Amino acid sequence: MSRVNDVGGAIGFPAVVEEPDEPRFHHDWEAHVVALNGALIRRGVYNLDEFRDAQERLPVEQFRSSGYYERWFAAIGTLLVEKGVCAPGELAP
Amino acid sequence: MTFAPGDTVRARTVDVAGHTRLPGYARGARGVVVEVAGAHPLADDRARGLDVPAQPVYHVRFAARELFGEGDHSVVVELWHDHLEGPA
Repeated sequence: MSRVNDVGGAIGFPAVVEEPDEPRFHHDWEAHVVALNGALIRRGVYNLDEFRDAQERLPVEQFRSSGYYERWFAAIGTLLVEKGVCAPGELAP
Repeated sequence: MTFAPGDTVRARTVDVAGHTRLPGYARGARGVVVEVAGAHPLADDRARGLDVPAQPVYHVRFAARELFGEGDHSVVVELWHDHLEGPA
Protein backbone atom coordinates (compact mmCIF):
# COMPACT_ATOMS: atom_id res chain seq x y z
CA MET A 1 0.00 0.00 0.00
CA SER A 2 1.10 3.55 -0.62
CA ARG A 3 -0.12 6.77 0.87
CA VAL A 4 -1.45 9.78 -1.02
CA ASN A 5 1.99 11.36 -1.31
CA ASP A 6 3.59 8.33 -2.96
CA VAL A 7 2.80 9.11 -6.59
CA GLY A 8 6.22 8.60 -8.20
CA GLY A 9 5.77 6.81 -11.52
CA ALA A 10 2.02 7.43 -11.58
CA ILE A 11 0.48 8.65 -14.84
CA GLY A 12 -2.24 11.22 -15.45
CA PHE A 13 -0.66 14.25 -13.82
CA PRO A 14 -0.24 17.46 -15.82
CA ALA A 15 3.23 18.60 -16.79
CA VAL A 16 5.22 20.53 -14.21
CA VAL A 17 5.14 24.21 -15.10
CA GLU A 18 8.10 26.23 -13.88
CA GLU A 19 7.38 29.77 -12.75
CA PRO A 20 10.01 32.22 -14.07
CA ASP A 21 11.78 34.10 -11.27
CA GLU A 22 9.70 32.26 -8.71
CA PRO A 23 9.77 34.09 -5.38
CA ARG A 24 10.72 32.20 -2.22
CA PHE A 25 7.19 32.83 -0.93
CA HIS A 26 3.98 33.91 -2.65
CA HIS A 27 2.30 35.11 0.55
CA ASP A 28 3.62 36.48 3.82
CA TRP A 29 1.89 33.80 5.88
CA GLU A 30 3.93 31.11 4.13
CA ALA A 31 7.14 32.53 5.60
CA HIS A 32 5.54 32.49 9.06
CA VAL A 33 4.62 28.82 8.62
CA VAL A 34 8.19 27.96 7.65
CA ALA A 35 9.57 29.89 10.63
CA LEU A 36 7.09 28.28 13.01
CA ASN A 37 7.92 24.79 11.77
CA GLY A 38 11.67 25.38 12.06
CA ALA A 39 11.31 26.69 15.60
CA LEU A 40 9.18 23.71 16.69
CA ILE A 41 11.64 21.21 15.22
CA ARG A 42 14.65 22.97 16.79
CA ARG A 43 12.83 23.01 20.14
CA GLY A 44 12.34 19.24 19.84
CA VAL A 45 8.54 19.38 19.83
CA TYR A 46 8.65 16.99 16.87
CA ASN A 47 11.18 15.91 14.28
CA LEU A 48 11.30 16.36 10.50
CA ASP A 49 10.15 12.81 9.80
CA GLU A 50 7.16 13.14 12.12
CA PHE A 51 6.37 16.34 10.22
CA ARG A 52 6.48 14.54 6.86
CA ASP A 53 4.36 11.73 8.31
CA ALA A 54 1.76 14.22 9.55
CA GLN A 55 1.40 15.62 6.03
CA GLU A 56 0.96 12.14 4.60
CA ARG A 57 -1.75 11.41 7.17
CA LEU A 58 -3.94 14.30 6.05
CA PRO A 59 -7.27 13.21 4.56
CA VAL A 60 -6.69 12.40 0.89
CA GLU A 61 -9.00 15.11 -0.43
CA GLN A 62 -7.40 17.71 1.83
CA PHE A 63 -3.90 16.62 0.80
CA ARG A 64 -4.75 16.89 -2.90
CA SER A 65 -6.60 20.19 -2.72
CA SER A 66 -4.14 21.99 -0.43
CA GLY A 67 -1.17 24.06 -1.48
CA TYR A 68 2.34 23.20 -0.36
CA TYR A 69 2.45 25.44 2.70
CA GLU A 70 -1.22 24.78 3.47
CA ARG A 71 -0.17 21.15 3.97
CA TRP A 72 2.66 22.34 6.20
CA PHE A 73 0.26 24.35 8.36
CA ALA A 74 -2.21 21.47 8.62
CA ALA A 75 0.58 19.08 9.64
CA ILE A 76 1.84 21.51 12.28
CA GLY A 77 -1.68 21.72 13.72
CA THR A 78 -2.00 17.92 13.78
CA LEU A 79 1.30 17.50 15.61
CA LEU A 80 0.72 20.30 18.13
CA VAL A 81 -2.54 18.66 19.18
CA GLU A 82 -1.01 15.18 19.29
CA LYS A 83 1.95 16.44 21.33
CA GLY A 84 -0.37 18.16 23.77
CA VAL A 85 0.86 21.66 22.96
CA CYS A 86 -2.48 22.93 21.65
CA ALA A 87 -6.09 21.98 22.14
CA PRO A 88 -8.01 20.90 19.04
CA GLY A 89 -9.14 24.01 17.16
CA GLU A 90 -6.82 26.33 19.06
CA LEU A 91 -4.58 26.83 16.03
CA ALA A 92 -6.61 28.43 13.25
CA PRO A 93 -5.48 29.91 9.97
CA MET B 1 26.80 -6.64 6.65
CA THR B 2 26.75 -3.43 4.65
CA PHE B 3 26.69 -2.77 0.92
CA ALA B 4 29.41 -1.14 -1.15
CA PRO B 5 29.43 0.79 -4.42
CA GLY B 6 28.88 -1.64 -7.30
CA ASP B 7 26.84 -4.11 -5.25
CA THR B 8 23.57 -5.29 -6.74
CA VAL B 9 20.73 -4.94 -4.27
CA ARG B 10 16.99 -5.39 -4.22
CA ALA B 11 14.56 -2.98 -2.57
CA ARG B 12 12.40 -4.76 -0.06
CA THR B 13 8.78 -5.46 -0.85
CA VAL B 14 7.69 -4.98 2.77
CA ASP B 15 4.45 -3.08 3.10
CA VAL B 16 5.24 -0.26 5.50
CA ALA B 17 2.25 0.98 7.47
CA GLY B 18 3.04 4.66 7.76
CA HIS B 19 5.81 6.96 6.66
CA THR B 20 8.57 5.45 4.56
CA ARG B 21 11.34 6.82 2.40
CA LEU B 22 11.10 3.76 0.16
CA PRO B 23 8.91 4.87 -2.76
CA GLY B 24 6.26 2.46 -3.95
CA TYR B 25 7.67 2.36 -7.47
CA ALA B 26 11.01 1.01 -6.20
CA ARG B 27 9.71 -1.84 -4.06
CA GLY B 28 11.06 -5.17 -5.21
CA ALA B 29 13.25 -3.58 -7.87
CA ARG B 30 16.91 -4.48 -8.43
CA GLY B 31 19.48 -1.73 -8.54
CA VAL B 32 23.16 -1.02 -8.05
CA VAL B 33 24.71 0.91 -5.17
CA VAL B 34 26.33 4.09 -6.51
CA GLU B 35 27.75 5.42 -3.26
CA VAL B 36 27.37 5.37 0.48
CA ALA B 37 25.69 8.59 1.58
CA GLY B 38 26.63 8.66 5.25
CA ALA B 39 24.77 7.09 8.14
CA HIS B 40 21.47 8.29 9.56
CA PRO B 41 18.67 6.93 11.75
CA LEU B 42 15.97 5.31 9.64
CA ALA B 43 13.46 8.06 8.81
CA ASP B 44 10.64 5.50 8.83
CA ASP B 45 11.35 4.84 12.52
CA ARG B 46 11.96 8.47 13.46
CA ALA B 47 8.54 9.30 12.00
CA ARG B 48 7.11 6.96 14.64
CA GLY B 49 8.96 8.79 17.39
CA LEU B 50 11.53 6.01 17.83
CA ASP B 51 15.09 6.82 18.92
CA VAL B 52 17.12 4.47 16.73
CA PRO B 53 20.84 4.20 15.87
CA ALA B 54 22.28 5.42 12.59
CA GLN B 55 22.58 2.99 9.69
CA PRO B 56 24.16 3.36 6.25
CA VAL B 57 22.27 5.31 3.61
CA TYR B 58 22.95 4.56 -0.06
CA HIS B 59 22.34 6.11 -3.43
CA VAL B 60 20.99 3.26 -5.53
CA ARG B 61 20.65 3.43 -9.31
CA PHE B 62 17.72 1.66 -10.93
CA ALA B 63 17.11 1.25 -14.64
CA ALA B 64 13.83 2.95 -15.60
CA ARG B 65 12.84 -0.25 -17.37
CA GLU B 66 13.18 -2.11 -14.05
CA LEU B 67 10.98 0.43 -12.28
CA PHE B 68 8.40 1.35 -14.90
CA GLY B 69 8.74 -1.28 -17.63
CA GLU B 70 10.03 1.24 -20.15
CA GLY B 71 12.50 4.07 -20.61
CA ASP B 72 16.22 4.20 -21.30
CA HIS B 73 17.17 6.45 -18.38
CA SER B 74 17.99 5.54 -14.82
CA VAL B 75 16.72 6.79 -11.48
CA VAL B 76 18.90 7.19 -8.39
CA VAL B 77 17.03 6.76 -5.12
CA GLU B 78 18.36 7.51 -1.64
CA LEU B 79 17.61 4.47 0.51
CA TRP B 80 18.51 3.25 3.98
CA HIS B 81 20.16 -0.11 4.62
CA ASP B 82 16.91 -1.50 6.06
CA HIS B 83 15.16 -0.77 2.75
CA LEU B 84 17.50 -3.14 0.92
CA GLU B 85 18.44 -6.79 0.76
CA GLY B 86 20.95 -8.82 -1.21
CA PRO B 87 20.14 -9.65 -4.84
CA ALA B 88 19.22 -13.29 -4.23
